Amino acid sequence: MSVLSRLRAFFAVTTPAVWVLLALLLGAAGLIAGRPGARATGMSHWLFAKGHVPAYAPIFERWNAEQPTPATQFESLLIDGPAMERRMLSAFMSGTPVADLVETERSMACRAFTGPLEDVGFVDLTDRLKAEGLMDKINGPSFAPWTSRGRIFGLPHDVHPVMLVYRADLVEAAGIDLSKVETWAEFFAAMRPLMADGDGDGRPDRYLLNFWPNNRDLMELLLLQAGGGLFDADEHVAIATERNAFVLVSLATWCGGPRRIAVDAPDFTAAGNTLRLRGVVVAALMVDWLAGVWKLDMPELSGKLRLMPLPAWEKGGRRTSVVGGTMLGISKASKNIEASWALAKRLYLDPEVHAAFFKRTTIIPPFKSSWSHPAFSAPDPFFGGQPSGQLYISQAGNVPTRPASPYNLPALLRVNEVLIELADRVVREDISDPAVLLPEARERLAEAQNRVEKMINRNVFLHPEAPAR
Amino acid sequence: MSLSNAQRQKLLLIPIYIALTVAGIFTLIPFAWLVCAAFKSNADIFTSNFLPLGDGFLGVAWTRLTLVNFVRLFKELGIGVALTNSVFLSATSALLATFCCSLAGYALAKFRFAGRGLVMSLVLAALVVPGSLLMAPGYKLLYDLGLLNSFAGLILPGLTPAFGVFLFRQAMVNAVPATLIESARIDGAGEFRIFFTIVLPLVRPMIGAYLMITFLGTWNNFIGPQIVLQDPASFPLSVAINQLRGLYGTDYGLIMSGTMISIAPVLALFLLLQKEFIAGLTSGAVKG
Amino acid sequence: MPAPAARPASASTTVVRRYRAEPVWVPWVFLAPFLLSFGVFLVWPLIQSVVLACQQTFGPKSTAWVGFANFSFLLHDPLFWKAVSNTAIFAAGSVFLQLPVSLGLALLLNRPGLRGRTVFRLVFFAPSLVGLVFVGLLFALIFAPRTGLVNSVLHDFFPAFDPEFPWLQIYVMPALILAALWLYAGFNMVYFLAALQGVPEELMEAAALDGAGPWHRFRHIVLPEILPVGTFVVLMSLLGSLQLFELPYILLTGSGPDNRGLTIVMYLYDNGFVTGDLGYASAVGWVLALLMGSFALGQRWLNKRQEES
Repeated sequence: MSVLSRLRAFFAVTTPAVWVLLALLLGAAGLIAGRPGARATGMSHWLFAKGHVPAYAPIFERWNAEQPTPATQFESLLIDGPAMERRMLSAFMSGTPVADLVETERSMACRAFTGPLEDVGFVDLTDRLKAEGLMDKINGPSFAPWTSRGRIFGLPHDVHPVMLVYRADLVEAAGIDLSKVETWAEFFAAMRPLMADGDGDGRPDRYLLNFWPNNRDLMELLLLQAGGGLFDADEHVAIATERNAFVLVSLATWCGGPRRIAVDAPDFTAAGNTLRLRGVVVAALMVDWLAGVWKLDMPELSGKLRLMPLPAWEKGGRRTSVVGGTMLGISKASKNIEASWALAKRLYLDPEVHAAFFKRTTIIPPFKSSWSHPAFSAPDPFFGGQPSGQLYISQAGNVPTRPASPYNLPALLRVNEVLIELADRVVREDISDPAVLLPEARERLAEAQNRVEKMINRNVFLHPEAPAR
Repeated sequence: MSLSNAQRQKLLLIPIYIALTVAGIFTLIPFAWLVCAAFKSNADIFTSNFLPLGDGFLGVAWTRLTLVNFVRLFKELGIGVALTNSVFLSATSALLATFCCSLAGYALAKFRFAGRGLVMSLVLAALVVPGSLLMAPGYKLLYDLGLLNSFAGLILPGLTPAFGVFLFRQAMVNAVPATLIESARIDGAGEFRIFFTIVLPLVRPMIGAYLMITFLGTWNNFIGPQIVLQDPASFPLSVAINQLRGLYGTDYGLIMSGTMISIAPVLALFLLLQKEFIAGLTSGAVKG
Repeated sequence: MPAPAARPASASTTVVRRYRAEPVWVPWVFLAPFLLSFGVFLVWPLIQSVVLACQQTFGPKSTAWVGFANFSFLLHDPLFWKAVSNTAIFAAGSVFLQLPVSLGLALLLNRPGLRGRTVFRLVFFAPSLVGLVFVGLLFALIFAPRTGLVNSVLHDFFPAFDPEFPWLQIYVMPALILAALWLYAGFNMVYFLAALQGVPEELMEAAALDGAGPWHRFRHIVLPEILPVGTFVVLMSLLGSLQLFELPYILLTGSGPDNRGLTIVMYLYDNGFVTGDLGYASAVGWVLALLMGSFALGQRWLNKRQEES
């Protein structure tokens, strides 16, 4: 047998795919082995928000250059949200590796607060914040999402106040004056002419507000604005309240029946953005970070938009609310807590960083001494020259507080189910008077409250006095 | 008018072609959208469903199509690194799992030994263990074994999936005659020699099918790598592409071009394996 | 193939000893990789999860034994039953819509004389090659109100069709079933196609000559022949459907409005991992394992009965 036919016989033993894959494997292994090894830094920082990376990069560079040894140098690592959550919780529960500094988001961070206070994986910063006088220098309500049972576990990154944004071009063309509007009722009454049916398809061409029953973040925002919410100041469930019932029945009639004014134009989606560009939705609830998103995703809207404080639920009521939030925490497993704290303050308390960050994202900082930086008073062409920074800052102190309960999401889900049921009924029975829905709202909220309480009472660690049922 | 039998058969095929073409178009619409979006700039993505309209040939603005997404992927975002990782991970997993599963399948199909029934019921039981049940203790286990943040942490847990053992066992029960093995033994061939030179060639279709299944599974695995790997330089394509979905806004053009890049290799492998894949699936699915 | 090295002595011994028994250790060597990875990566975590399922835990320091409290809470939680019913709807959709479509495509493709079979097969299989991240993104766009492909096309053709038809708000399960149809029909079609190619052609021709109609031929010749593959595909679809998680998770970014897209595994995620209660997650996981096990046993029982009849 010749060498060639022997070889052919050898390779014919199995499918050619085996040899192809083997060749690919060896090639890839060669490429991977040829990569330069990772630089060894002693400490690490995790973050999930891509937009923060360039803002922090120079600070890390400067910090690392100052450190005498790699032991206190930091490496910053961008991780996808859900993956970070899994790693963080796994670290706090079973001691797997975790970064020294973890920048995390409200819904993720609160999961670290399920166990006993002494088992929370973040370093308790309360005493440091008090000793260094930071409690007064940082916007008060911004600490709330990172506070569990009175102790603070993170340095707040933002305030995230909410304003109302509207299409000034459409509003002006219709000759509508919004300057005297103070409440939601007045707002909808003034804007009603925009809901005409110009193309004769039996549906309004435009709707006044981006809201939909399934958008639980916006629902929570509006509940908080009205003074309702999910938990009281002592972190007890406070779902079944008259205030919540009132807000939910109002929201239900926003989305259906003869008084419908809302349309579903979800943020971050192509579908929602198209509706905004077409002017199908006239106004939206706009938290500061969302303004940055719009600037990136819909530059076409530049100059056509204006900001105003949220219409209140009653005259003299709160004109803002809050959505989301990010913090920087130090993990208890950190190799060097002091170095982490020092770097954390550099990352979070530098007015120049805040100004640069605002220019790119329109997010205002909670650090009060940064607020006088000229960047925040600059006219913002996206909003027709309004000083968007100062507008948001003027609402920062009024932002409602939200207790950091690990059960926030389940509670929110239950309340959202109530709203969806109510909204379904509005459509089914073509209801225009919210008061009709009140009895059902009360009943459903009571049931929701009961279910969340049951879930929380199972937790033997939050309630050591009550044994598991 | 009279039609020959062959002509009648041909006429009867016409509605079948129509039905298949309609179904094919429905299947391909999303791909058409994918390919179009991959070549559009961000400004054009949502102005038209497929290609941007203009006054070029066929009413399409050809000049507005762009390669910028692909350039950015490779130049700015270094997707090549992720591609290499994916190739390595998927090829290694596919080859190792196919080899180990064929070994175990052979033992269960062609040997009579005390404990065979027990092992077989273990395999069947493992088929119905939901992966989500193992997630919580699994991460801690990988940490204890020092396998976190390594490719081994992804490859070893999938070394011999029960599903693969089951498939190979089914295929071998039918495709490998016991007499062939016995006569080889009589000729004095060693057990491993028998396995490599007689058994494996007989289940070649199953090898092709299982390579395809594991390669595809590893290639598109998304949650696993995110949890096990901690270093972005080791992320595979599935994770890297998902990371293009920023928290603030989504760059559809980039994601679509990334998805195109990620489909190409599996498509090539499928074309290579098509015949064996189909034959293999049947040999594994028959009752036994 | 190179012949085994000739050993002059062996020729005579084989005649004497016609049969060489298989050495006892051989199967165990072949099984070693399986048993090792099975023990380390399946049995060991499984044992831990049994313990976990009877605990409430937040890390090793905070662990409390609660016995069957996790299970009894679970069985009294209306949400869990919603997840079960959603999952059942999806499983039913897979079995009663997706599999018939797969079988139908396979039957069409199996027509003798059909050209371009390879191309069609490739087209229908193509969705299986795509990752779930893409599928989630894509179907969110396709099902979007007003701007989505489905609603805008339907509204253009039938103006009465509501352009805000709430696929992802109310008709969540139908939307998921349709997405799964696109994604998996081609894969299952390949199974059926492979089985159909095993149906003896002479049998079909003989039946056709006897005047048997297409339905009769399908019912009495094709169906019995592909039944083993059929039950296998049904079982695999059921087991896969019961574990549905990533598709709705990415498509709906969560459990959907009013939990209309909540599945069992998502319930496990939301209620176990979200609140850090790994014990509860394990309890849910065990209930799911029991469900899957009972389906698998059911399939074996059916197979046995078929063999007997």
